[in-house]
Amino acid sequence: MIRGVIVMNDRGKPRLVKFYEFQPAEKQQELIRSIYRVLCSRAENVSNFVKVDSLFGQDVRLVYKTFATLYFVFIFDSSENELAMLDLMQVFVEALDKVFSNVCELDVVFNFNKVHTILDEFILGGQVLETNSSEVVKTVEEISKMERAANSIKVVPSIPGWQGR
Amino acid sequence: MSSQGGFGQSKEFLDLIKSIGEARSKAEEDRIVLREIDTLKARLSSPNITKFKLKEYLMRLIYVEMLGHDASFGYIHAVKMTHDESLLLKRTGYLAVTLFLNEDHDLIILIVNTIQKDLRSDNYLVVCAALNAVCRLINEETIPAVLPQVVELLGHQKEAVRKKAVMALHRFYQRAPGSVSHLISNFRKRLCDNDPGVMAATLCPLFDLITIDVNSFKDLVVSFVNILKQVAERRLPKSYDYHQMPAPFIQIKLLKILSLLGNGDKKSSEQMYTILGDIMRKCDSASNIGNAVLYECICCVCSIHPNPKLLESAADTISKFLKGDSHNLKYLGIDALGLLIRISPEIAEQHQLAVIDCLEDPDDTLKRKTFDLLYKMTKSSNVEVIVDRMIDYMISINDHHYKTEIASRCVELAEQFAPSNQWFIQTMNKVFEHAGDLVNTKVAHNLMRLIAEGFGEDDNTADSQLRSSAVESYLRIIGEPKLPSTFLQVICWVLGEYGTADGKYSASYITGKLCDAAEAHSTDDTVKAYAVTALMKIYSFEIAAGRKVDMLPECQSLVEELLASHSTDLQQRAYELQAIICLDAHAVENIMPMDANCEDIEIDKNLSFLDAYVQESLEKGAQPYIPEDERSGLSNISNFRSQDHESSIHALRFEAYELPKFPVPPKAPSILSSSVELVPVPEPSYVADVHQPATSALTVSNSGSSELKLRLDGVQKKWGRPAFSSTTPSTSSGDTFESNNGTTRHESISSTKSKVHDVSYDSRKLQPEISTEKQKLAASLFGGASKSDRKQSYTGQKVSKTNSHGADKSNLAKAASSSDNAAVIPTSQPPPDLLDLGEPTVTSSAPSVDPFKQLEGLLDPTQDTTKLSSGGVGVPNAPDIMSLYADMSLSGQSTTVANPPPNAIKTHLAKQPSKGPNVQEFLEKDALVRQVGVTPSGQNPNLFKDLLG
Repeated sequence: MIRGVIVMNDRGKPRLVKFYEFQPAEKQQELIRSIYRVLCSRAENVSNFVKVDSLFGQDVRLVYKTFATLYFVFIFDSSENELAMLDLMQVFVEALDKVFSNVCELDVVFNFNKVHTILDEFILGGQVLETNSSEVVKTVEEISKMERAANSIKVVPSIPGWQGR
Repeated sequence: MSSQGGFGQSKEFLDLIKSIGEARSKAEEDRIVLREIDTLKARLSSPNITKFKLKEYLMRLIYVEMLGHDASFGYIHAVKMTHDESLLLKRTGYLAVTLFLNEDHDLIILIVNTIQKDLRSDNYLVVCAALNAVCRLINEETIPAVLPQVVELLGHQKEAVRKKAVMALHRFYQRAPGSVSHLISNFRKRLCDNDPGVMAATLCPLFDLITIDVNSFKDLVVSFVNILKQVAERRLPKSYDYHQMPAPFIQIKLLKILSLLGNGDKKSSEQMYTILGDIMRKCDSASNIGNAVLYECICCVCSIHPNPKLLESAADTISKFLKGDSHNLKYLGIDALGLLIRISPEIAEQHQLAVIDCLEDPDDTLKRKTFDLLYKMTKSSNVEVIVDRMIDYMISINDHHYKTEIASRCVELAEQFAPSNQWFIQTMNKVFEHAGDLVNTKVAHNLMRLIAEGFGEDDNTADSQLRSSAVESYLRIIGEPKLPSTFLQVICWVLGEYGTADGKYSASYITGKLCDAAEAHSTDDTVKAYAVTALMKIYSFEIAAGRKVDMLPECQSLVEELLASHSTDLQQRAYELQAIICLDAHAVENIMPMDANCEDIEIDKNLSFLDAYVQESLEKGAQPYIPEDERSGLSNISNFRSQDHESSIHALRFEAYELPKFPVPPKAPSILSSSVELVPVPEPSYVADVHQPATSALTVSNSGSSELKLRLDGVQKKWGRPAFSSTTPSTSSGDTFESNNGTTRHESISSTKSKVHDVSYDSRKLQPEISTEKQKLAASLFGGASKSDRKQSYTGQKVSKTNSHGADKSNLAKAASSSDNAAVIPTSQPPPDLLDLGEPTVTSSAPSVDPFKQLEGLLDPTQDTTKLSSGGVGVPNAPDIMSLYADMSLSGQSTTVANPPPNAIKTHLAKQPSKGPNVQEFLEKDALVRQVGVTPSGQNPNLFKDLLG
C-alpha cells in the first residue's frame, strides 16, 4: 500500500501533502522535515530509493525524484515495487504536464486542488488505480468541464463582490 | 476575470504565497500565516459570503494547514460545502474534508448523509467524488451506513465507478475485516469484469486477502496464470501499454500474487513455470518498467517451489542488474540476490566483486541494502570480516535508528558465529563503546551472563581465559571518557566478579580503577551502584582469602559520599559495604561466596522459615495475619477497584452520579428534524462559531429537499449513549468521542528476513580481479573455511542455561554437528591467476549527453509517442533538471542587483520554454505572473528565488 505522496520544493516547503493513513498535523510537519533532511543529504547520481523505516515503521521505503525545483516523493510498503513506483511518479508528472501544459512549481502551488484531483485518479486509498496518464487527463478534463458548466451560473452573481478589491 | 490573478486564484492568495516565499525565517512565516488565519476567521464568520468566495477561503485554509498550522475553525465550512449541489464546490468540500478530518472526527457524522446521497447520484463524477471521500472518511462504525450502496456500485455501468467501488470495499476490509467478510466473493466476481481496469483494481484487495490466508484462494491460481498469460500476450487494449510493455503494472501485481500462492506449493508452482519463463524471456531490460517486471519475476521465482531453469535465468538477470550503471538496478540486484541465496547459496560467489563495490558505494541506500545481504549470508568463516565492516559503518553513521539495528545485528552475529572468545569480547567492546546507549539492555545482561557462564564447554581454563581477557580489555577501556552507561555497568560488574580472580591484578589496582569510574560518572547513579557493589565483592573476596584489606583513601571518600547520598539504593549499598568489611572471613565467605553468580538462589515464597517466629508471637497474644482482601473496614481500596459498591455502603463513591433524566419534551422530535445538522455535534464552540452561516445555509438546503435527514441505520452505537438521550449537547460526550480517536493501523507485517546462517558455501573458484585489497576482502567474505573454526552456538547455550549442567548434552551435539560442517567444507584453494576482466564495472556514465536534448525528449507531449516507440531508452536516465539549474540558482542567490536570466522566470518541469511549441502559453503565464507582481525584476527577489530556485 502507498502510505503517502509528498511534493515539496528544494527548500523543503511542502507543495502537496497526502497521507493515506491519517497523520495529525504536527506529525505531518515532522515527517516532511525529516524527509527533507534525508533528501538533502543525498548525493547526485545515487539511487532514487531511501529506506525510511525509522520514520514509518518496518519495511517502508521511499522513492523520490527531482523535477526542476520540486521533489516528488512516494512512500509505500513492501506490497509495491520500487521501480514501478518510480514509473508511476513519471506518469503522474506527465499527467501534470499535460493538464497544465508545461507544468512548473507555481502551477502546483496555486492549483493544488487540481493536482489533488489528478493524484486521486492515480491512487485511491493507497492503491494504484490507474497507470495511464492520458486516461487520467481525459477524466480530469471531463471533471473540469462539468465544474465549469456548473460554475458559469454561479459565478455571475458573485462578480460585484469581486470588484470590491 | 481581470480581478482574478494568474493560475485561477485571487490576488489575495497570490499575495499570501508571495509573502510566505519572501519570509526570511520560520518565525516570520509563522507570523504571516497567523495573520492569514485571523483574516480567514473574520471572513468566514461574516454573514454574507458568496459560495465562490467560500471556496477560495477553503483553499487558503488547506494551504495554511499544509504549512502546519491549525485550521480547525474552518472545518465546518468544508463539511457544509460537501452539501452543495455544484460539482466544483462539492468536490472542493470533499477535498478539504478528506485532508482535514480523520475517520473518527466528530464532524464525519455530518458528511455521511451527504455521501449516501451522492453515492446515488446520476452524475458519475459526483459518485466518484463520494467514493473518494468514502475511502478516506468512513470508519468501522459508519461502514454499515454506506456499505449497501457501495456494493451496488460494483455493478455500475461506468468502469471508473466500478473500479473505485472495489477500492472502497477494499478500504472497508482494511478498516474492519469483519464488516465485509460476507462480501469477499464480490472480489472474485469482479476479477472477471469486462474492463481490465476493474480487474486490475480487484487484484489489490485479493493481494491483501491472499497474504492473510493463502489456502482459500488456491483455486484462483489457474485464473491468475491465465490472466497473466493474456496480459503478456498483449490481449489487453493498447491503452494499457506502457513503454511498449503490455500492462506492466498489472503484471507486477499478478506476479506478487502468484509468488504468494506458489510459496511452498509444488503443484501450484508448476502451473506458473511456463508463463514466468515466457515473461522473463520477453521482458525488455532496457526500460525502467521492464526491469521492474523482471525484478518481480525474480522475487516470484525465489518464492515458489524452485525450478532450476527459472533460477538460472533469475541468476542471469541479477548479474545484469549488478553489472548495470544504474544505482537503482544495483539496489534491486542486491535485494534479489538476498532472496536467491536462500535457495542457491553458491550464486553469491559469482557476484562477490559487485557486492563489494556496492558496499563501498557512496549511496547510503545501496550500502544498507548490501549490509542486509551480508547479514543474511554470514557464517562462521566470514563473520569476522562482516562484523568488522558493520561496526566500521556503524561508527560512521549518525542515524540512531539504523545504528541500533546494526549494533544488534553485530551482537547477534557475534553470539552466533564468534570464532574465538577474544574476538567476541573485543567485538562486544566495540559495539558497546560506540552504540552502548542504543542497544537493548538485554544485550548487556547477555554479555555478562556469557562471561559468567563461559561458553558451556566443560573446559574451565577456557572460561577463565575468557574472563581474564575480558578483565584485561576492560581495564584498558575503563579510563576512557564518554563511555555509555550500559557498557560501564558491564565493566564494573565484570571487574567486581573477576577482577582479582586470576591474581594478575591486585585488589587495590582494581578498586582504584572502579573508584575512578564512579567518580568520573558521578551523575549516573546506576553506574555508581554497580561500582560500589563491585568494590564490595572485591573486598569480600580479599577478606575471604584471608588477606588484610586496606581501603584506598579514594574508596573511603566515595563510600562516605554515598552514605549521604540522596538515592536510598546507593546509601544501602554503601552501608552494606561498610558492614561487610568489618566481618570476619568466615561470615564474609558465606555472604559473598566466590564465583557464585551462576548458582540459583532458592526463594521460599511462603516464608516458612518465619513460622517459628510467628507461632511464638501468636502465643504471646499477637493478632493473626489477615490477608488484605479479607480485611473489612474503611480502607477498602481493592473493593473500589472492582467497583463493588453494594458491599461497601458507607464508603465514598468516586464515580460521578448519573445524569438526571430530563423528561423528554414533546416538541423534541420536530426540533430534531428541523435542525438535523446541528444536534449531533457536541462541541459548543462549533455551535457558537457557525451559528449564523449555518442557519442560513440550513434553511435553504432543508427547504430544498427533505432527504437531508440523517439516516444512519447502522450507526446506532454513537447515538446509544445516555448523554445523547437529552437534547442538550453535553461536553462530556465530546470527551468520549475524543477517546475514540485512536487510528487503527494495519501494517502488513511481512518480515521476509530469514537467516541463512548455517549454509555451507564452498569456494571452488574465486573470481579473479584487479585490486588485491578487494580480492582479499572478497576471499574473506565469500571464500572458504580455511580457518577451521568451531562453531559455537552461544545463543543455544544461553537459552538452556538456567542450570549450568543441563546444557552440556545439547552443546556436545552442537559441537559435533558443527565440526561435521567444518569437515564438509573443502579447504579453500588459492585464487587462480587474475584474468583480465578490466576495471571493476564502476564506469561513470558518459557525460557527453546534452541534458537539454534529454529533457526535450523526455516529457514533450508531442514527442511522446515517438519516444515511446523508440524503446523508452530515455526513461531510466530521468530528466535531471537539477543539474541544469544549478548554476541558475547560484546566480539567483548572488543577485539582488543583477536580473536572473529571462528564461528563469518560469522554470519548466518538463522542458525549456524557448524550445517547445507552447511559447505562447508560456508568455501568457509569464504575463500573469508579472501582473501579480511576482516578477523577478520587481522588489521581490527573495520570493522569486524561493519559488523557482
